Amino acid sequence: MKKLNLILAALLGLGLNYSNAQTQKGNVLIKNATVLTVTKGNLENTDVLVQNGIIRQVGKNLSAPAGVETIDASGKYLMPGIIDAHSHVALDVVNEASSPITSEVRMKDVVNPFEIGIYRALAGGVTISHAMHGSANVVGGQNATLKHRWGAKDPSDIIMQDAPRTIKFALGENPTRVHGRGNGIQPRTRMGVEAVLRNGFNEAIQYKKGWETYNTAKGQKGNTKTPPVYNERLQTLADILDGKIIIHCHSYRADEIYMLINVAKDFGITKLVFQHTNEGFKVAPEIAQYTMGASVFADWWAYKMEVYYSTAFNAAILQRNGAITSINSDSAELIRHLYHEAAKTQRYGGLTDEEALAMITINPAKQLGIDDKVGSIEVGKQADLVIFEGHPLSSYTVPQMTFVDGVKYFDIKADPDDQRQFVSATEMVEPIFLHTHENHQCLQDVDAYFEAFQGAFIEEKH
Amino acid sequence: MLISGFLSHAAWSQSDPTGKRRITDTYAITNATIFASPGQPGTKATLLFREGVIIGMGPNLSLPKEAQLIAGDSLFIYPGFIDGASSAGITKPKDPERPKDFVSSNPPDEIAGITPWRSATDQFSITGNQVDDWRKAGFTISQVLPDGGMIPGKAAIMILGNSGSVNVIQENTALAANFSGARGMYPATAAGVIAKFRDVYQNTTLALDHSRLFASTAGVKRPEMTPTHTAMAAVVQGQIPVIFKAETELEARRAIALQKEFGFKLVLAGLDNYENVIDLIKSSGTAVLIKLQVPDDKAIKNQKSDSVTTATKAQYARVKEAYDKALKQASLLEKAGVPFGFSTLDAKPGDAMKALRTMIKNGLTEKTALAALTTNPATILGIGKTAGTIEKGKMANFVISTDSIFKEEAQIKHVVVDGYIFDYEVKKKSANGNGKTENGPAAITGQWDYTSQTPAGSSGGELIIAKNGVEYTGTITYTDPSGNGKVTAPIKNVSVSGKTLTFQFDVSAGGMSLTVDITGEITGNAMDGTMSVGQFGSFPLTAKLNSPSLSL
Repeated sequence: MKKLNLILAALLGLGLNYSNAQTQKGNVLIKNATVLTVTKGNLENTDVLVQNGIIRQVGKNLSAPAGVETIDASGKYLMPGIIDAHSHVALDVVNEASSPITSEVRMKDVVNPFEIGIYRALAGGVTISHAMHGSANVVGGQNATLKHRWGAKDPSDIIMQDAPRTIKFALGENPTRVHGRGNGIQPRTRMGVEAVLRNGFNEAIQYKKGWETYNTAKGQKGNTKTPPVYNERLQTLADILDGKIIIHCHSYRADEIYMLINVAKDFGITKLVFQHTNEGFKVAPEIAQYTMGASVFADWWAYKMEVYYSTAFNAAILQRNGAITSINSDSAELIRHLYHEAAKTQRYGGLTDEEALAMITINPAKQLGIDDKVGSIEVGKQADLVIFEGHPLSSYTVPQMTFVDGVKYFDIKADPDDQRQFVSATEMVEPIFLHTHENHQCLQDVDAYFEAFQGAFIEEKH
Repeated sequence: MLISGFLSHAAWSQSDPTGKRRITDTYAITNATIFASPGQPGTKATLLFREGVIIGMGPNLSLPKEAQLIAGDSLFIYPGFIDGASSAGITKPKDPERPKDFVSSNPPDEIAGITPWRSATDQFSITGNQVDDWRKAGFTISQVLPDGGMIPGKAAIMILGNSGSVNVIQENTALAANFSGARGMYPATAAGVIAKFRDVYQNTTLALDHSRLFASTAGVKRPEMTPTHTAMAAVVQGQIPVIFKAETELEARRAIALQKEFGFKLVLAGLDNYENVIDLIKSSGTAVLIKLQVPDDKAIKNQKSDSVTTATKAQYARVKEAYDKALKQASLLEKAGVPFGFSTLDAKPGDAMKALRTMIKNGLTEKTALAALTTNPATILGIGKTAGTIEKGKMANFVISTDSIFKEEAQIKHVVVDGYIFDYEVKKKSANGNGKTENGPAAITGQWDYTSQTPAGSSGGELIIAKNGVEYTGTITYTDPSGNGKVTAPIKNVSVSGKTLTFQFDVSAGGMSLTVDITGEITGNAMDGTMSVGQFGSFPLTAKLNSPSLSL
C-alpha cells in the first residue's frame, strides 16, 4: 500500500510537472528538531510542516496531514538552506573576458544543471548559489541565482525565477590586468576602472533618453524619428540606474570600495553589494551606511598583491559596524562546508551563533534580494532546509538531509557513490578538471605565465 | 579479390577535345528491384532517365535507342540520400586582415565571425574534401554550410554531381549559426555569442523598421544597413531558417530558447546527444538533423571483466548504460513522431552505413531510416518536389546496391547523381560462415612494408604484427606530421576476419590526437586497403608482408 502511494505520488508529481511546467514542490513534516530559525531564535523539540514547497507551520506536536511524510529529527538541528552569494558552480561559461563592459552577457544562458558541484553543494547544506560571471571585466555579465534542484534537466528549472536580477562588477587588478596590461586598453589603472564605470553610466543615460524620445515620437503622425541602435549593454546599465538590478562587485582595497560607493552615490544607485571586500574592515561604516553590505571569505588572502592587507576579523568587524555581511565560497570545494567557514567568525571576532549562521543564510538572502522568500525558517517562506547531526557551527557537525522547496535532494543515508546526471558513452574515465573557472583571457602575454604557474599550484580566488 | 577493373557505364565521346563528354545522357537500368520511397516494397522494374530527370519507371518500358542500358537484375535501387547539413567540399576562407585600429573588445563583424552575407557556394568545390567519400556512401544532395565563426553565412543546397557541371540547386537556403566564439576577441564564449546573436537580430529588426520609415516618409534620416543587417533580413522576415549547429541537449535548449525569444524558423543540425530534449523538439516544432554517427565503442570494449573493483564495475555499467541509450536515441525520436533527417557534420563517411545499421539494431525502423536519408531532409530543405523519392519527373539521384541497403552484406555499387553514374568497387565476400571457410583467417603476423597515398604525397613505413595468445599486437612506423622523421606507434584493435585485416593507431598532430583506421584485403602476401584519418577522409594504402612469422 505504501509503495502504491509512492508510485501514485510520483505519477501525480510528474503529471503536475508536465502540465504546469513547474518545478517540483514537496510535502514533509520534520519532527522534534532543534530549529535554528536564524531570524526568530532557536526552538527546541519543534516540528516544521512543509506543504507544497512552503513552510506552513512551525510548532510543537504538529501532526502530518494524510500523505505527508514524517521525518524524525530528534537530537538533530534544522536550519535554513545555506545560501552562497558567490559561486561559479553549474556554469558552462564563467568569463566573457573580451571587453571591459559585458553587461549584455547573461549567465542564465549558460547554466548547466548536470554539474556534479550542485550535488556536492547540497551535501554541504547549500540550497541556493549565486552563479556569477567572472571578474575579468569592470562590468561583467548578469548573474543567475540558482536553486539546487539536482536532477533537473532543463537549466531553467534550477534558475530561481523569482529572484531579482544581479550583475557582476570588478575593480582592481583583474580588469586592469586583462584589459589594460593584456590588451592595452582602458582600464590600465584603478582610475581607468572608475572612468569606465562613469562613462558607461553616462552613456546609458544618453541611451535611455534616445529610446524615450523615439518611443514618444513613433506613435505620432508624420513622425520622422528613427529607432536608435539597440544596445543591451547600455540598456542593462540603464536598468541598474533604474534600480532593477543589484550590483555585486568584486573588490579588495578600501580605496576602490570607497570609489564605487561614490560613483553609486553620484548616479543614485543604492543596490550594491561588495564581494570579497578584503579591506572592507577599513571602510565598514561607509559600507554599512550606503550599501547592501559585503560578502567575504572567512580567511583567504595573499594570493595576489591587492589581497595582502587582510584579516580573518573582517566579517566580524563589518557585522559589528552594521554592514550586512555574508560568507561565500567562490569555490566548488569551499561551498561544501560553508557552515564551517561561518563558524570561523566566532573564532575570529566572537560573533554569536545567530550572527554566524546569518552570514550564510538570511544575510546572503538579503544581498540577493530574496530574503522575503528564503534565508530563515519562517511560516510562508520556501522550504529550503538542512538537517544537521551536531550544531552546524561545531567542527564535528555533519549535514544529514537537504531540502529545496520541501523536496529532499540529499540524504546522507541514501547517497550512492556515483551521483552523475550525465555520463559519457565514450569516456572510460571522465576527465577531471581541477580548475573549472579561470578569468584568463588569452595566453599571449607575460601574465599568462604567471597565472598558469599560479593556477597549477593554488586555486585562484576571484 | 576485386572484380577485375570497373564496370564502366560511361562511354566517352571521341569528338570532345577533353575526351570527357558523355556519348549519351540517357540511361536505363533494366529489371532492377526499385524501392521508390520509404516504406514501399521493392518492385522489379526498369528505370529510365535523361538529362538527370526520371522519365519512366515500370516493367514494360519502351526504351529509346540512345539509352545506354545497365543490367540491374541483381541490383537494388533506392532514392539518392540527402544530407541536411554538411561541410563536404567546403574550404574555410582566409581570415581577413585585422585593421590597424583593431580593438579586440569591439572587432568588426567580419573578423568576429559574423559574416551572414557569405555563401557556402563560394567555399564549395565538387572536387573538394570528402565530396566523393560522401557520394560513395550514397549521398547525392547536400545542404552545405559555410565555415566560419558564430554566423558563418548562408547555406546552399548542392548536388554532388559531375565535376564539369554547375552543381548548385539552391543558394541562400538557411543562415548557419553556432555557439563558437571568436578567438581572443568579443564574443569569445557561448555566453558572449548568445548575447551578440540577440544584438544582431534586434538591430536587423530595427534597421528594417528604419528602412520602411525612410521609404514611406520624407524628412527621415538615411538608414545605414550594414552588410550584416542586409544579410540577416531574410531570417528576420521569416524567409529562411536559422540552422543552428547543436550537438548536445544543452546547446539544443539554448538554440530553441533563442528561437522562442525571437520567433525565427529553426533547424538544429548535428545533434549527438538529444534524448532528454525530444519532447521539447517536438513541442517547439523544431526541425532536426541528427548526426549520422553513433558513439564509438572503445570505452565499452576496453572494459575489463576481471581484477576490477565493485566501484569500477558500477562505473562500467553506467558507461554501458549511456552507450546503449545513445544508440537508441534515433528510435526514440521516431517513436515521438519527429520527422528527422541526418547531418554529416563531423561524421565519418566510411562509417555511415554501419551507424545506420546500429541505429536499426537499436529500434529504428528501416522505413524511418530511409525516410531520414531521403524524404525527411527533402521536406526540411524544401526540395520535396524534385528529390527524395524515385518518381517520374524527379531528379535522377539513386543509390544502387548489391543487396537490400541496410543489410550487412549490401555494398553500394553505383551512385547516380544528377543523371551521372558513379561506379564503386564491389568486394566479393569471402565464403565465411557458409561451411566453406577458406583455410581460416589470413596469416598476418610478421613484418610488413606499407605505402600510402595522401594529398600530401606518398608515404610509408613498417608494420609489425605479432600474435599474443588470441590477440594481435604490434607497431607501425609513420612519417611524423611535424617533420621529425619516423615515429613508431603501437597498433590496437587488430582484428582479422576472413581476408580482411583491420586495426587502428593514434597519431598526435599539432596537439591533437587522431585515430587512424586501416582496413585491407589480404591476398597472399599483399594487402590492398584504405587508411581513414578521422574526418579528413580515406586514402589508399598497400602493404607487403616481407617476412612472415614462422610461428604460424
